[in-house]
Amino acid sequence: MTRKWLIDNQGLFFMAPAMILFVVFVLYPILYIFNASMYDWDGINQAIYVGVQNYIEMFTDDRSFALSIRNSIYWTFLTIFPQMFLGFILAYILTSGVPLQNAFRVIFFMPAIISPVVLGIIWQRIYAPFGGLLADLAWETGARFLMQPYLSDPKIAIFSTIFVNVWQWTGFSMLMYVAGLQGLPGEVLSAAQVDGAGALQRIRYIVVPMLRHVHLTLILLGVIGTLQTFALVYMLTKGGPNHATEMLPTYIFLKAFPLQSMGYASAVAVVLLVIALGASIFQVSVLGSRFTIGN
Amino acid sequence: MKRNRGKALAFIFVSVLALVWMVPIIMMLVVSFMPPDQRAPRFGGLLISGVSLQNYVTVFEDAEIVTHFVNSVAVTVPSVVLVVVISSLAAFALARLKFFARDIWFYLLIMTLMLPIPTLVVPIFQINKALGLNDSYLGLILPYTALGVPFAIVILRSFFAGFLREIEEAAILDGCTPFGIYWRIMMPVSWPAVAVVIIWQFMTSWNEFILALVTMNSVEVKPLTLVPLVYSGQFMMRPGPMFAILTLITLPVILVYYLMQRFMVSGLTAGAVRG
Repeated sequence: MTRKWLIDNQGLFFMAPAMILFVVFVLYPILYIFNASMYDWDGINQAIYVGVQNYIEMFTDDRSFALSIRNSIYWTFLTIFPQMFLGFILAYILTSGVPLQNAFRVIFFMPAIISPVVLGIIWQRIYAPFGGLLADLAWETGARFLMQPYLSDPKIAIFSTIFVNVWQWTGFSMLMYVAGLQGLPGEVLSAAQVDGAGALQRIRYIVVPMLRHVHLTLILLGVIGTLQTFALVYMLTKGGPNHATEMLPTYIFLKAFPLQSMGYASAVAVVLLVIALGASIFQVSVLGSRFTIGN
Repeated sequence: MKRNRGKALAFIFVSVLALVWMVPIIMMLVVSFMPPDQRAPRFGGLLISGVSLQNYVTVFEDAEIVTHFVNSVAVTVPSVVLVVVISSLAAFALARLKFFARDIWFYLLIMTLMLPIPTLVVPIFQINKALGLNDSYLGLILPYTALGVPFAIVILRSFFAGFLREIEEAAILDGCTPFGIYWRIMMPVSWPAVAVVIIWQFMTSWNEFILALVTMNSVEVKPLTLVPLVYSGQFMMRPGPMFAILTLITLPVILVYYLMQRFMVSGLTAGAVRG
């Protein structure tokens, strides 16, 4: 390495701290889970090499794993699209000059900054069958349909959990759309108005297509968010009842720590990693790569 | 006329929705002020018989809440500072300098954005164990920084990329080094993007749960996010103190968000326009 080479490549010095952290805490862990997934290992004693046995078991004989895949699919579709739809409507209203629009934006965004641990405990009280907000409402107003075993019925629990997530993150979609709407060139919209396009037509044919990059960003972030989901589920249901709300992250945690099965947990982590990278590569290459927050 | 009616309807719609939206947060506050002699709050906590600060007193006396608060600060603040320093240096290099394998490094770092943290929980636990970092602040600061840097680089890089070449060339003619350009010219005017990075990193470090859960086993080093679990047994039948804890966990993030929020939209937009 000559002096000249170093001067021409000064950028490497600027990059060095980020590169080191990346190698130690991202690259090495990725290689680590691929390796660990081939072993039967409790994290303490000698690991036993089992080849692809963990994967075979996961895909052929593991109901909890299958449930966590099913739940991830529910979660992806039932959070991303409702959030985008409601977030867009809110953003549209809150950039049209209604009174107090900044205050409204803060209110809708607020759940997004609060810890899911905190929100999980609050929503437990909302859903609680005795003394919970919905149960009491049902009791006092006679709206009996509000009285449901929200978190204890395996058929309902996943949807109750997803609902909380939608509530938490709609404000984020709204904020992204607000940023997108404010970046739209005003001339196009006023030209369309002059040409006689009504409000709904302007939204349908001009605003929505021009915000394509925001839609794509939200879908991508939504998929990543789904695959990250841990704290909310852990606090609300711990993945139960009987694994009905299990997500891949809660399952990894359950296997690795309470059940001390680090090798199997690593195999689940590999599957999660492959899904996450596959989904983002698919989206970036098929749907286009222009993110709002990237370039 | 028709236009005003539409606006009025829109206003009513968002007002009603905003009220409903706030219910869980209002509930958190109301229950935290519930008098201790009230057995259970009605409507899940929206109706209480009086206002009392007793729950907060209980929490400060019984729950070592100050210790946990200090732990959260001791993990969050260094990770925010490190992310700002490390990512701004890297983003400057990626936006402004040419060097070996630049694009490959950029794409590798961006890939981290797509990485779900739970995939890394087993190896990070083992790395920390090998380095003796379990139960220490550094055991969380380093991974939080590593995982926060890529997003910060994306934000800062697009901001730095928007600077005029001419200013930089003039500075080079005056004998300014690349570090001088970074430190004296770019950083002082980049605060809108830096603000977004600070809010984001503060929120993620402050609220992070799964790594904290497996890294911090001793009660005295646990950050605030783990506190509800620590005291869930003790306060199981008493929602008052528990909700006081939840409120205390939430206040700092709301404060930081409130102080920084005016930069949030402009910071995100800056990235969008330059994209």
